[in-house]
Amino acid sequence: MTEEDEFFAWLDGELAPADAVRVEARVAGDSALAAEAEAHREMTAGLRAAFAPVMTRRSEVVDFAARRVARARRIPAGLPQWAAIAATLVVGLGLGTMVGGRGGSDAPVTIEGGQMVAAAALDQALDRQLASNDQSGEPLRIGLTFRNRQGNLCRSFSGDSASGLACREGEQWRIEGLYGSSGAASGDYRMAAGGDPRLAALVDGVIAGEPLDAAGEVAAQRRGWR
Amino acid sequence: MATQSEFDRELRAHWPRLRRFAFALSRNAADADDLVQSAAERAMRSAAQWQAGTRFDSWMFRITRNLWIDTVRARGRHAARFVAEEQGASVGFDPRPGTEAAIDLSRAMAALERLPEEQREVVALILIDGLGYRETAEALDLPIGTVSSRLVRGRKALLTLLGETGND
Repeated sequence: MTEEDEFFAWLDGELAPADAVRVEARVAGDSALAAEAEAHREMTAGLRAAFAPVMTRRSEVVDFAARRVARARRIPAGLPQWAAIAATLVVGLGLGTMVGGRGGSDAPVTIEGGQMVAAAALDQALDRQLASNDQSGEPLRIGLTFRNRQGNLCRSFSGDSASGLACREGEQWRIEGLYGSSGAASGDYRMAAGGDPRLAALVDGVIAGEPLDAAGEVAAQRRGWR
Repeated sequence: MATQSEFDRELRAHWPRLRRFAFALSRNAADADDLVQSAAERAMRSAAQWQAGTRFDSWMFRITRNLWIDTVRARGRHAARFVAEEQGASVGFDPRPGTEAAIDLSRAMAALERLPEEQREVVALILIDGLGYRETAEALDLPIGTVSSRLVRGRKALLTLLGETGND
């Protein structure tokens, strides 16, 4: 190890105690070396601080275990688009039931008056879950909560292999968009990263102002999402 | 062999660090997210190779880094012009050097951009992540002396690129 390598190893806390004491003494007696140590410490701290914002879980894969199930149960081809989408969401919720509006009492999406509305587990998640809580064990995650231009509350959600947006209308959550991922495996991950571009575009198109913060989300829930 | 739930727990716990490593390697948000997600996928497929109780982070860093090397090689072969565009973009980026003591992310990434790949990866693991020399050597399959000397060259170059804050 060169003297320079040793100096930096000391700076990084990599030297054995006896060696560290020796280098410490050398640095203490050499103001140029002490200044260099300080400059490098500052730079390292600055680098870490600069990278802190990317230390987020936002792009975390939603639920690894559920994803395996979803992979094992690919949606058969040939279904109408909306059914395939809804079925993807069902698989994403881990319920294993096809949606169809006929007796599917635990289907997460039903058709009422020509509109898709949230039901069962999706309805419950939209009503009960808070994005500010730890949602890592939930099959479905709530993303943003915000008001649309009509003043209604909207919430984005993502399951294992589908994501979407629902807006409050009366006592129901109307599905404004539902995006399934039936593409390649890498596509799943991209979507689970919270970054389905279609969902992002939809949110941008309907949002008025800023999304609610944690306190706003709790308050909105207390008011029954009105 | 680890159970799937152990594996999932480890992957979740280390996700933010992996994402940061991917950012440091690729210096580009879109590439970083693709990279860390591909790494998670590859890790899942080869989960049997990871033994519960051994260091999951080093193993994941290794997978991420190897994937990145593959990506860089593939781009080098097929799309040299992308490299030129990337470099062109970074040359134009120079946010008021010296006027701000704090290093922001784009400035840090622009500086990392100028380092050779072999220095960038040790800087990312040791300086930014705080991984030990030995763990870094294991993750990168390098002798510890090589890690140490690459780190010295990389950090000195970075100090010059980012401007010495203690020189007044």
